[in-house]
Amino acid sequence: MIILGRRVRMEQRLSTPRLLLFLVPVFSVFLALVVGGVFLAATGHSPIGTYLDLIDNGYTSFYGITDTLGLATPLICTGLAAAFAFRMNLYSIGQEGQMYLGMIGGAWAGIAIADSLPQLVAVPFVLLAGAATGAAWIALPAFLRARLGTSEIVSTLLLNYVALNLLNYLIFGSTGFFRDPTTSFPQGRLVADSARLSPISFFTDKVTNTYPTFLIAVILAVVLFWLMRVSNYGYETAVYADSPNTARYAGMNSAWLQSSVLLVSGALAGVGGAMYVVGPAGKVDPGLLQVGLGYAGIVVAALARYNFIAVIVAAVLFAGLRTGGNALQISNDPVPIAIAVVLQGAVLLFALGGELFRRNKIIITRVQVAT
Amino acid sequence: MQHDEKGALALAARGVTKRFPGVVANDQVNFDLARGEVHTLLGENGAGKSTLASVLCGLYRPEVGQVVRDGKEIRLNSPRDGLAHGIAMVHQHFRLVDRFTVAENVVLGHKSLSFVLATAEIEAKVAAITEKFGLPLDPRAVVGELSAGERQRVEIVKALYQGAEILLLDEPTALLAPPEVEKLFITVRAMTHVGKSVVFVSHKLGEVVDISDRITVMRGGKVTGSVRRGEADVRRLAELMVGREINIVPRRAKLPTSDVLLSVSQVHLERDGVELLSDINLEVRAGEIVGVAGVAGNGQRDLAEVVAGLQTPQQGNVTVCGTPTARSGARGARGARRAGLAYVPEDRLGTGLAPSLSIVDNMVLTRERGFLVDRKSALVESEQFIKQLEIKTPGPLTPTRKLSGGNSQKVLLARELFAVSGARVLVVCSPTRGLDVGAVEAVHTLLDEARDAGKAILMISEDLDEVMTLADRVMVLYRGHITLEQSGNDADLDRVGRAMAGIA
Repeated sequence: MIILGRRVRMEQRLSTPRLLLFLVPVFSVFLALVVGGVFLAATGHSPIGTYLDLIDNGYTSFYGITDTLGLATPLICTGLAAAFAFRMNLYSIGQEGQMYLGMIGGAWAGIAIADSLPQLVAVPFVLLAGAATGAAWIALPAFLRARLGTSEIVSTLLLNYVALNLLNYLIFGSTGFFRDPTTSFPQGRLVADSARLSPISFFTDKVTNTYPTFLIAVILAVVLFWLMRVSNYGYETAVYADSPNTARYAGMNSAWLQSSVLLVSGALAGVGGAMYVVGPAGKVDPGLLQVGLGYAGIVVAALARYNFIAVIVAAVLFAGLRTGGNALQISNDPVPIAIAVVLQGAVLLFALGGELFRRNKIIITRVQVAT
Repeated sequence: MQHDEKGALALAARGVTKRFPGVVANDQVNFDLARGEVHTLLGENGAGKSTLASVLCGLYRPEVGQVVRDGKEIRLNSPRDGLAHGIAMVHQHFRLVDRFTVAENVVLGHKSLSFVLATAEIEAKVAAITEKFGLPLDPRAVVGELSAGERQRVEIVKALYQGAEILLLDEPTALLAPPEVEKLFITVRAMTHVGKSVVFVSHKLGEVVDISDRITVMRGGKVTGSVRRGEADVRRLAELMVGREINIVPRRAKLPTSDVLLSVSQVHLERDGVELLSDINLEVRAGEIVGVAGVAGNGQRDLAEVVAGLQTPQQGNVTVCGTPTARSGARGARGARRAGLAYVPEDRLGTGLAPSLSIVDNMVLTRERGFLVDRKSALVESEQFIKQLEIKTPGPLTPTRKLSGGNSQKVLLARELFAVSGARVLVVCSPTRGLDVGAVEAVHTLLDEARDAGKAILMISEDLDEVMTLADRVMVLYRGHITLEQSGNDADLDRVGRAMAGIA
């Protein structure tokens, strides 16, 4: 590429300087804010004022941060699900559907036990049921991928639409097991009380949107991070991700590695859906869930560069942008939600674009005049 | 005009210096090429010959020095510039689109293409070229279905189609069987006959003597000598290449051999109806090296993989230290390893090692691992090997892809020879391919020592010299059959060579 008489070319870095690992994301977010600012100014809003509002509503006010942590909870799960598959070069984008199924499975378990179990058993049971249904939802793509090499991208994506319609059917289209029998209004049947957790009040008497499931999600991320570092399973997946030929040479079972990674990924997304049952929803609630947290999980995983600990941070940041953005609509100087979405998109675009600079050196030379 | 005559200077490099991080690949190199001449650049891997060819075709720009074409200095910013001056290079790794036909590949990247391809016209032109230069090819064949030799012809036709007067062939015989090499030489002669010039880049001494009008030897980025046709003396050339007097001292087993540790009997392997190995019988005893020679693509890789348990043969048995390993239910590669087998594949970085993982992580690759991976002992082991085998690395946590070929091979050999507990049988494939002289020496010493330590070694190598130097018994693999077996001391180079070429 030639710009202003200079030849600009890129060369892959052999190693990334530590400083860049930090500088690139910071600079990316800064640029995204600048771009968002242009949109804000163009629509007659004060960029600085709006950003301060956004930060306050997303992160620094009491209700802001507790709403954010609540939203981050399932997002951590879908983020982990995406990161887990992506680091094995398996590009499952079925987290959305697996999360729906996790809600359905979790609600089934929560209704079925009908207060027969103490909370200490009931809650994990609901979460595990969600994990199982999430994993079941990816079982077919996993099998097709491992045995026949079918692209998991397409198969998992298509199943998202099936899951979406299944979820809506259970509540709006039928009057079955999941439907509240006490009313003709289409809503889900509540799960047993013992299968639910109360929100964390953070030593106040306020009712928040953060549930103890947030801690479960964080623990899940940390345990996963640790296990994949020290376990043989983590080692084998790392070898396979790096070089499938090497894995074959070492006698590893690639079909098992591929399918098990996808199943775990599905289970993680499923847990995210079940956490809604244990926490805010208490039932199958399509309206509450259909806000794209599955797809956002892919974004979170990408921002975290597939690092499980970083997924926690990225999920909280991303959730804050959304809660802050939502709050902007009802502030004194209402900003349309579309602007908040533009901002989210810009952050993602710049963060991923920044990868280019992390991986490559930019070399600028004078163009030699040919003689 | 001077440059129209045959023998006039067509292309030259004057004082070319090209550096890469950490190495001077070309150090003030002078080189010239006459019209109608075949000029060979001979040298070991890493001598700088491919770099020089890349400078001549415009792929690299030298820091210092000039490229001169027909007496005028030219500046080449890209291979496209080179092509404009009639210079084209055929790379060792082909740059073709598998799903396109021969004709489509030939015109790929050509500037003056109409929006709709004039297929018939192009095919006719391609056919004319193939005929003129003895390059048998069907213009309509899909490239993905062609053999390595045919793909190479496509590359050559492509260069000629684009009007190349000077052809740079980088290691053109590396992937060819002997009859294909013969065909290539016929083409080269046809080209020089009409006044085109050819630069032949090779590290294979034997074959270049016949084809070359002139041979220039490079070593360590410098030209060490140049000889004309008729003056070429193989021994002298070898010394120029290696930079010292070579005396190939055969290394043989110093101790008497004992039990048979590896036995392969009546192995038959086929895939998709194609017979790959047929009636393979061999035995390797403790304390000996059995060398399997052969031209690449005659079943070497399949033989190694069958022995290593990575492929299950349709018929026959493989026994490692008394345990049958080749039958179904024998648990494949892990089963063979448990029985006492270690395996060093030819492709060290993409198969034997995980390139992005550290030396430590690579040490545990073929070891039995529990639920948790014991990296502590692997770290101690890695540090010990780094010291003992003089592996040049910043540390044991360095990814193996950052090591040189010789050093990564040492890591791989260390793991397979010492770290895998209890392995008494070793299968190695082309253990020194792509390594420099010093590293070759180190690897051969390691293998020799392992033999004396009582290991049974099956060495499958395309490098005949290597087999002749190390093996106590020599076999030749040709089209999936073992066609010759001799003791290392009595092996007759001529007979082995002919068996490799399939001449009885």
